[in-house]
Amino acid sequence: MIPVETTERIHHTNLNDNNAEVMIRLQNINKVYRTDTVETLAINNISLNIDKGEFLSIMGPSGCGKSTLLNIMGLLDNPTKGEVSIDKQDTTKLNDKKLAAFRNRKLGFIFQSYHLINDLKVLDNVELPLLYRNSTAKERRQLATEALEKVGLSNRMKHFPTQLSGGQKQRVAIARAIVGQPEIILADEPTGNLDSAMGNEIMEILLQLNERDGTTIVMVTHDENMARKTHRLVRLFDGSQVQ
Amino acid sequence: MFTHLFRLIWNKKKQNALLITEMFISFIVMFAIFTVVVFCYKNYRQPMGFVYEDVWSVNFTPPENITNADSVAIFHEALKNTLRSMPQITELSFSGNNIPFSMNTSNTAVSYGKHKKVMANVYNAGEDYLKVLNMKMKSGRWITKADAVSKNRIIVINSRLESELFDGQSAVGKTLGDDFPGLDQQNASQLHIVGVVENIKDKGSYQEIESGMYHPIDTGWARWTGTILLKVKPGTDATFESKLFKTLSNTIGTNIEIEHLDKKLISKNKIMVVPMIIAGVVAGFLIINVALGLFGVLWYNINKRRGEIGLRRAVGATGNSVSNQLVGEALVLATISLLLGCFFAFQFPLLNVFDLASGTYIAAIVLSVIFIYVLVTLCALYPGKQAAAIYPAVALHEE
Repeated sequence: MIPVETTERIHHTNLNDNNAEVMIRLQNINKVYRTDTVETLAINNISLNIDKGEFLSIMGPSGCGKSTLLNIMGLLDNPTKGEVSIDKQDTTKLNDKKLAAFRNRKLGFIFQSYHLINDLKVLDNVELPLLYRNSTAKERRQLATEALEKVGLSNRMKHFPTQLSGGQKQRVAIARAIVGQPEIILADEPTGNLDSAMGNEIMEILLQLNERDGTTIVMVTHDENMARKTHRLVRLFDGSQVQ
Repeated sequence: MFTHLFRLIWNKKKQNALLITEMFISFIVMFAIFTVVVFCYKNYRQPMGFVYEDVWSVNFTPPENITNADSVAIFHEALKNTLRSMPQITELSFSGNNIPFSMNTSNTAVSYGKHKKVMANVYNAGEDYLKVLNMKMKSGRWITKADAVSKNRIIVINSRLESELFDGQSAVGKTLGDDFPGLDQQNASQLHIVGVVENIKDKGSYQEIESGMYHPIDTGWARWTGTILLKVKPGTDATFESKLFKTLSNTIGTNIEIEHLDKKLISKNKIMVVPMIIAGVVAGFLIINVALGLFGVLWYNINKRRGEIGLRRAVGATGNSVSNQLVGEALVLATISLLLGCFFAFQFPLLNVFDLASGTYIAAIVLSVIFIYVLVTLCALYPGKQAAAIYPAVALHEE
């Protein structure tokens, strides 16, 4: 298990330097939801660079477009206007197959409601991203076991998600997000459903992943305390970046 | 991926139990239907072995006042001469009443060597029976006039009976034992085979060829013989039929019935085809129900699993792989049902139920398996396609 540190962290010195390598580049992103009668501007002309190894948090009131922005970064949603580049790759030109492979290799997702498959055991849930790669069953098992060991759940591998607590479920979701060793983790309110103790545990694991493995993390949160632990905070209001 | 699907389905076995049962019952029903269809098709593919077109049968009640064997012989000869004098009739033969495509059957059990009590149809046939029906001899000779008065009981058997009794050897010259009713034990054990005729499909287009043996119409049976088979010239019409009827009425003086073998075949086939059509319609409704049920369950599953589908898309599944997974799951469920169904279906050839050839059952099993897989694939394709179209961001947000 990753040791949980309670001391205040020191930011990477290279972050936000001019020489830092940009991992995610959003340029003039707009997202409009249209129905027959209503047009809703969810994201309004946001441009944002996130450096490699940076831990960025996004805050804002409900409905301000945080999750929409995260989905656009995670290539789960297309912007109405603007460009998304990840690791210097312009993602707007990728077809469904290439996008899926790109998500599989580069991105890991953590959700507020965990999104675990209740009919699969913990180990099978963690293996899920590896199913969409050319890896053998043995390799999958080994990597999933290692990922579960990292989040301290190696003793729960044969359990079903319904047999776990909220904190344990989120740790399984983190193991699933890191099993494919992605360079970016996108976390949508990962501590939102947890009490403060559990939330802190999860946050520590994310911080460790960022510091030890250099994983770039973008986290949407409502919690100021959690946001303060990250390198940079972006605030949204009514779809626009205000900080 | 297959292991993953199997694991997913196994962990949901309780939810899937009804669906598996539904597919299992469908398989059993289709197995029954296909068994009948394959059986009929195999029989249909067999050549008829004789020509029934332009063959008419004349059924009459033998005159009660002609009882003496000599008088019967003279009466039969006179009847033959009358019919032969008609230019439209090319061949004719007296016959027992179990002519081709009739509803009458006469059979007995015969034995030879280790083959005991083999059932065979019994036909009484005149010396020109072979010519009227254009049957083909396989070996030996056909019945002659002299055979009717021979001290030995002479028979001609068909090819199927030969293969059942003689294990590949020729039957000509061999003697069979039988328990033909009305004969004493000494006579009963002396059926001398003088020829083997090729099989004919005389029970209808879809019926199996059965073992058979042909007896000459001897003096004992001649009195009760009331059927004549006539081969007429092609195109012979109802005018001649009317003339024939009048001539025979005047000659015989009893009830006369003239039938055409091609029309009798149509009637005979209907007896087989109509129940098959009824069973097919019932099975069709069942299959429509099963298809709608499957479609509904798969559709419901997709709506229930939108979050899972969104997640799979997020972690690297393409739209196609999501669609393939759902079709794959349905096929794994079908495979479990089919394995169970095949276990029961294979008992039929193993236990020789209904005395059908093993090949018939095996072909029916293969066809049923293919049918169920095609049905399940078709029912899963559209829901699978709908699943592929689910937008991951929307599906994940709903949860």
